[in-house]
Amino acid sequence: MDDHEENADVSEETEAQRRRRFEAEAMQYVDQLYSAAMRMTRNPQDAEDLVQEAYTKAYSAFHQYKPGTNLKAWLYRILTNTYINIYRKKQRQPQQANTETVEDWQMAQAAEHTSSGLRSAEAEALDHLPDSDVKDALQQIPEEFRLAVYFSDVEGFAYKEIAEIMNIPIGTVMSRLHRGRKLLRGLLTDYARERGFKNKKLEAR
Amino acid sequence: MSDETTDETCREGDCRETDERMERIYEYLDGQLSRQDLEDVRTHLHDCPDCATEYDLECIIRSVVRRSCTERAPDTLKVTIMERISQLRGEAGHDVVGRESA
Repeated sequence: MDDHEENADVSEETEAQRRRRFEAEAMQYVDQLYSAAMRMTRNPQDAEDLVQEAYTKAYSAFHQYKPGTNLKAWLYRILTNTYINIYRKKQRQPQQANTETVEDWQMAQAAEHTSSGLRSAEAEALDHLPDSDVKDALQQIPEEFRLAVYFSDVEGFAYKEIAEIMNIPIGTVMSRLHRGRKLLRGLLTDYARERGFKNKKLEAR
Repeated sequence: MSDETTDETCREGDCRETDERMERIYEYLDGQLSRQDLEDVRTHLHDCPDCATEYDLECIIRSVVRRSCTERAPDTLKVTIMERISQLRGEAGHDVVGRESA
């Protein structure tokens, strides 16, 4: 019999059993949550603190987690809430631009890139962009868009899951994804063009 | 037959509108379409070079983003987390959340 089978009666487990179950099931996502935390906080020390905080909260609430449901999404939701409710308020850095007035020039730029299309050499350059460029580009798009894109493209969450993680309606998820991807593409295309024109042969890092 | 489909799809979805076009490509890649819609888009991508180009680029961007954002947490992090959780057990009911990080 499996130690952590789906129908295990969670309410009757001892503290030690819960801790083992948590370690076996939840701790496997540390790297992924850390990557997400890096997209939120932008630096390794803050990302570590955030992940620690989120895991501590997750453990405290682990008895509320229903075995067999999506644990990864549940953890991401806690991470996101922790970031929004506690962590971001502590940060002494300038707030992101207001989403609604966001960077009209960025949107215009994105639209321009899309309509003018890319030559295949540029597609090639895009493919070989160094990780640092891609991370820079992501950091430049407003947080709400950035996280939606990250949850979808990197973690492969469905719209419904992203809606739960970010606590927003599905329609909002879709519009954030749409706008975020457009912005990201505009920025990446800029980087790719710059690099593509400078170097013929690009090395992926 | 397949030409007809293409024309119809293009007129219906107004493919020349970039937003419309991209939205369908996103939903297609996100696996959010019904079976029928999925088939329609698949057929359309096969027949419409413009959409196919956009599709390819979107695929490249996604793979580049995935590749770039895969970080590994420091080895010490797991240990630290489990230590904090043990502390939490020791002081059941005590709020461990107010740790300063300034």
